[in-house]
Amino acid sequence: MKLAPVDYLILAIYFAFVLGIGWRLRKSVESSRDFLTSGRSVPVWITSLAFLAANLGAQEVIGMSASGAKYGIMTAHFYWIGAVPAMLFVGIFMMPFYYGSHARSVPEYLKLRFDEKTRGLNAITFAVMTIFSSGISMYALGLLLRLVLGWSFTASVLLSAAIVLTYTLLGGLTSAIYNEVLQFFLIVLGFSPLAILAVSKAGGWSGMQSRLPPVMTHSWQYMSSGSQNPMGVEVFGLVAGLAFVLSFGYWCTDFLVIQRAMAADSMSAARRTPLLAAFPKMAMPFIVIMPGIAALALSTMHAGYTLPVKGDGYDYDQAFTTLMAQFYPSGMLGVGLTALMASFMSGMAGNVTAFNTVWTYDIYQSYIRKGAPDAHYLMVGRLTTIVGTALSIATAYVAQRYNNIMDLLQLVFSFVNAPLFATFLLGMFWRRATGHGAFTGLVSGITVATLTHGFTVAEQKGGWITPIHQFPSTMAQNFWIAIFAWTACFVTTIMVSLLTRPRPAEELRGLVYGLTKLPQETGVSWYRRPAPVAVLVVAVLLLLNIWFR
Amino acid sequence: MLDLRTPSGWFFALLGVILVVLGVFTPGLRAALTDLNVNLYCGLVMLAFGGVMLVLARTRP
Repeated sequence: MKLAPVDYLILAIYFAFVLGIGWRLRKSVESSRDFLTSGRSVPVWITSLAFLAANLGAQEVIGMSASGAKYGIMTAHFYWIGAVPAMLFVGIFMMPFYYGSHARSVPEYLKLRFDEKTRGLNAITFAVMTIFSSGISMYALGLLLRLVLGWSFTASVLLSAAIVLTYTLLGGLTSAIYNEVLQFFLIVLGFSPLAILAVSKAGGWSGMQSRLPPVMTHSWQYMSSGSQNPMGVEVFGLVAGLAFVLSFGYWCTDFLVIQRAMAADSMSAARRTPLLAAFPKMAMPFIVIMPGIAALALSTMHAGYTLPVKGDGYDYDQAFTTLMAQFYPSGMLGVGLTALMASFMSGMAGNVTAFNTVWTYDIYQSYIRKGAPDAHYLMVGRLTTIVGTALSIATAYVAQRYNNIMDLLQLVFSFVNAPLFATFLLGMFWRRATGHGAFTGLVSGITVATLTHGFTVAEQKGGWITPIHQFPSTMAQNFWIAIFAWTACFVTTIMVSLLTRPRPAEELRGLVYGLTKLPQETGVSWYRRPAPVAVLVVAVLLLLNIWFR
Repeated sequence: MLDLRTPSGWFFALLGVILVVLGVFTPGLRAALTDLNVNLYCGLVMLAFGGVMLVLARTRP
């Protein structure tokens, strides 16, 4: 891919605007709450787009179009059933407790609801994981730009980190959130022309259907057993593992996204944040997955495009960038590349701001220095931004040198995350659940996840204790690990809770269902109320799944 | 506080102008796989999006 001066000009304009937004917002930061939680002042259209954009890294765009080329429209399960139901659930049922409890973070909610050790476990694992994922995505970006443009790894890593650092340092969470929205617009306007061009070149949806094997263009029809589809996943594993455990575990408990909703300016806005985000979420497959499928279809057509080859198969990870090089002239190519950088930055800023808040409030203020004046925590928050970015850069270099360690860590993190939703579900909806129950539940969930991985094999992965079961794919293995971990956590939490002393009801007001006054949404038009918006989301979700069944 | 619609509006209007100018003055600038003037059409869309954002920021609905 060759860039012209105009492409660099567009990239420079983008950098100027994100830094300018940070500069304009610098005056809005007067306290640690302004810096770390936006002082609950952000309008709902902004929080909902940021809710989506913070999760949308460059790896996701590249990875999802690669999966589109590899698995077909089935990949859309990660956006539809694997995200939307959880987004509705967190908005309607869980946000009243997150927002209403006045907790400043998700770990802090655990502290209020359960106890110190449960918060500590969650805060520390979360802090470590955000740094690693931000470092890994930085590594992916450096690798990508080196491959596609021949830029030096160090230059692209340092430049993009410096820009994210500067605007986050200036305007705190507000600046990160505002820029995420700008980045989201750029992603949509910069990538959708590519999807339109590639799909129409491949003959539209019907043309792709006629050129590709039917399993690539149906999302449900080949799901009855793992051997029928390239993902190696069957309906139960998909629905219970991905759509329930993993998706609810991420969208309902991960502070990275919840933080955006908690920055909203009212309870109603906080609840509608994930609901409104569900609409663009459902549309994302058309922008990121469709080009991948089109790339595969084009490769069968002698239209002048073939997917790059690696070993004896296609190099799917290059689908997106090679399409861009073939369909965008200089000018639009600059926009596309800028959008790729933007998606990386929105993901990284999301990680950095979430890390900041958890470190400053849940670790530093709780365990290192209590009761200092607020100006001290504001300073710590700013310093943490710098340290967090530096650690991410260091991680990117570790990832570059020791690929296997990174794979291992990501695996360990998936074990830590799998059981989380059981803890929050019981914490919010069962007042009898206790701190000891939650903590042992989490620990047992993580243990069961590790054991499941030790006893099962898929694509030569796992089975390090003794292999007793074989999965058709690592994806199926991941889904089943999540199912077992969640069940273990759920059952253990209930059993230990019943054996330990419950907290008095008055301490749990505002934290648990039945002891919290639920927000009444009356007297406003229907599209400002969560329930009707959710019904509309469900209707669109059903239509999409029926259309692409 | 800053109304985000204003900077987003200016950003996309500016990108739109650059792309439209490129599309009009160098119509021969084409990518390998398409005969469309991609810059012109995308530029017009971005200009329109930026304009709508700026109008919304001005009227503050």
